[in-house]
Amino acid sequence: MTTVSSTAPADLDAFWRAIDDELAAIPAASESEASALHSTEHSTTSKVKLTSIGPYRIEIFLSIPHGDGPFPALLLAPGYGSVVTPPPYDDRMRYVAISIRYRGTRGADKPYAAKFPGLLTDGIENPDRWRFRGIFADTLRAFEYLCGLPMIDPDRVAIYGSDIGVIVAARRNRVNALAVTVPFFYRLADLYPTTEIYPFEEINDHLRAYPEGSEAVNRTLSYFDPLHHAARVTTNTLVCIGDPGVAGGPEWMAPLTEAFGGAVEQYAFTHEGQTDYDAVDRWLAQQQGVDPRPRTWLPQDIGPWSAAQQH
Amino acid sequence: MTIRGLARDHQTSVRRPADFDDFWDAIMAELAATPLDPILKLVPHRSTDAVEVYEIGYTSLDSVRIGGWYCRPRETWAKGPYPGLSIVPGYNSDPTLPKSWAKLGYAAIGVAPRGKLGSDTQFNPGYPGLLVHNIVDRNTYGYRGFYADAARAIDFLLSRPEVDKSRIGVHGSSQGGALTLTTAALRHDVIVCGAAGAPFLAGFMDCAAVTHSYPYEEINEYVRLYPEREEDVRSTLEYFDCVNFASKITRPFRIYVGLADDIVPPETGYDLVKAMTGEVEFVAYERCGHDAGIYWEMPNVETFLAKYLKPALADTGVHAQMT
Repeated sequence: MTTVSSTAPADLDAFWRAIDDELAAIPAASESEASALHSTEHSTTSKVKLTSIGPYRIEIFLSIPHGDGPFPALLLAPGYGSVVTPPPYDDRMRYVAISIRYRGTRGADKPYAAKFPGLLTDGIENPDRWRFRGIFADTLRAFEYLCGLPMIDPDRVAIYGSDIGVIVAARRNRVNALAVTVPFFYRLADLYPTTEIYPFEEINDHLRAYPEGSEAVNRTLSYFDPLHHAARVTTNTLVCIGDPGVAGGPEWMAPLTEAFGGAVEQYAFTHEGQTDYDAVDRWLAQQQGVDPRPRTWLPQDIGPWSAAQQH
Repeated sequence: MTIRGLARDHQTSVRRPADFDDFWDAIMAELAATPLDPILKLVPHRSTDAVEVYEIGYTSLDSVRIGGWYCRPRETWAKGPYPGLSIVPGYNSDPTLPKSWAKLGYAAIGVAPRGKLGSDTQFNPGYPGLLVHNIVDRNTYGYRGFYADAARAIDFLLSRPEVDKSRIGVHGSSQGGALTLTTAALRHDVIVCGAAGAPFLAGFMDCAAVTHSYPYEEINEYVRLYPEREEDVRSTLEYFDCVNFASKITRPFRIYVGLADDIVPPETGYDLVKAMTGEVEFVAYERCGHDAGIYWEMPNVETFLAKYLKPALADTGVHAQMT
């Protein structure tokens, strides 16, 4: 469980510097369009087109609170799926917040429409051609755009969500708070051979068709494993931890939490969705100097049909 | 912290249109008159020693072609005939590839109703978007075809010779929970049981009034922009409200909700149960949100479905992927 098979490639930094160089060489050419539909009494939401490496045109939802800034900034680190929505209402009230329609997802699916399942293994045997090389670049591009907005407080820039955030925080030193709620790329080479759960099963599907590709797949994954980037992350970090004895649990996550270059707190999931959401929200709010916005609704009881179902 | 009353004491404001049954009878008659034209294409690299995986297609309402996944046990893994199980997707989710259910012994279809990936060439309102697509017109509202596509998936299962037509169930969570209910109502002639988590699309306007979370927030956004259309919106949605479908469901059901769910407020779960006429197991999990307690509930869902559908490999240590 604690033995990590992935080792950092010798050219890891050169690989990521090349991505940074590609991004630096191509203008973002931002194009913002306010969305009356998604704007509220508290915030204005826009769709913003940006150019990432490729070149590829992506889209982000940008929400800016009403009132006098500067405001803390929040990047929602993307997950795996074709649908990306505007940032949650509660986040839009407190942060300059962005969610990213990365290449292949709805809103950024021309010319490339990702398949789900399918995206995870698109080009996976070559780190320079893996579709996620571009998707990580899309996230970095969106982060740069966020940091360049005049109404943000540059000392309060946070990332929340998937472990894509670890690599963004490692490659850009602007982040002051990082909350990693979902490990996805971390130890993926250790995880996929042990599971039949999608989307990780996509890699097993790929290797059924190309059994000779295992070594190449694992090599690609090593460039994107947050474990090999965490030492560069010196910001305050919260890592969410699953159950002992399984992937995502404390033993599984220990190599990552020990690798960070800054202060790390751990939050053990209760699996009560709203309890867990509120805990992470509270941590992030505290880091950023805003009020927490708990979603748990109280008081309630659990009703006459469920007396025997308490956990 | 939002303070409100007990979920079980809430009553939705949903009205049942006098012509609700006529509206849906006409749609189902139109659907029945449409040739299914099913196709299957084996996907060898996603198939395993236990399960064959197929990409599928069939024709639904308005001649829209619907895609999806179909997974069945290999004869060497489990002998047929197999119970049929329709796995219906959440709002933001991509269609499920139900390989894990087939490994349990089900012939399982992962439905991609119109607009989902795999069914988006003829209809694609986008996400966000579907919930308010033509929301002032019940005859072209996005969910008219969407509900029909999910119901039509049952015809696909019935077309398969390896499926036992007397053992067909449906399961999903969130929008999948809603589609579980609508499919069971529209195909009450066939569906034996259903398990619905955090059922969305019940008490639409009541829910939108107490949450700012997507997808219901789409309705708030629409009404904020077009306040003069609110009554038209409400009128349309009554034809699509799961509370109004619930009385058609007479077979055993399991419904589970999270009492702190901000995405699908749990109050409507209680109203659904009140309206259903069959045996209902209802479970409410404290402090759980839209997860609806799935961490604890998933084994119960497997057990419930197995009780009525009797897959060959229930209780053998094989488990389905969480929905």
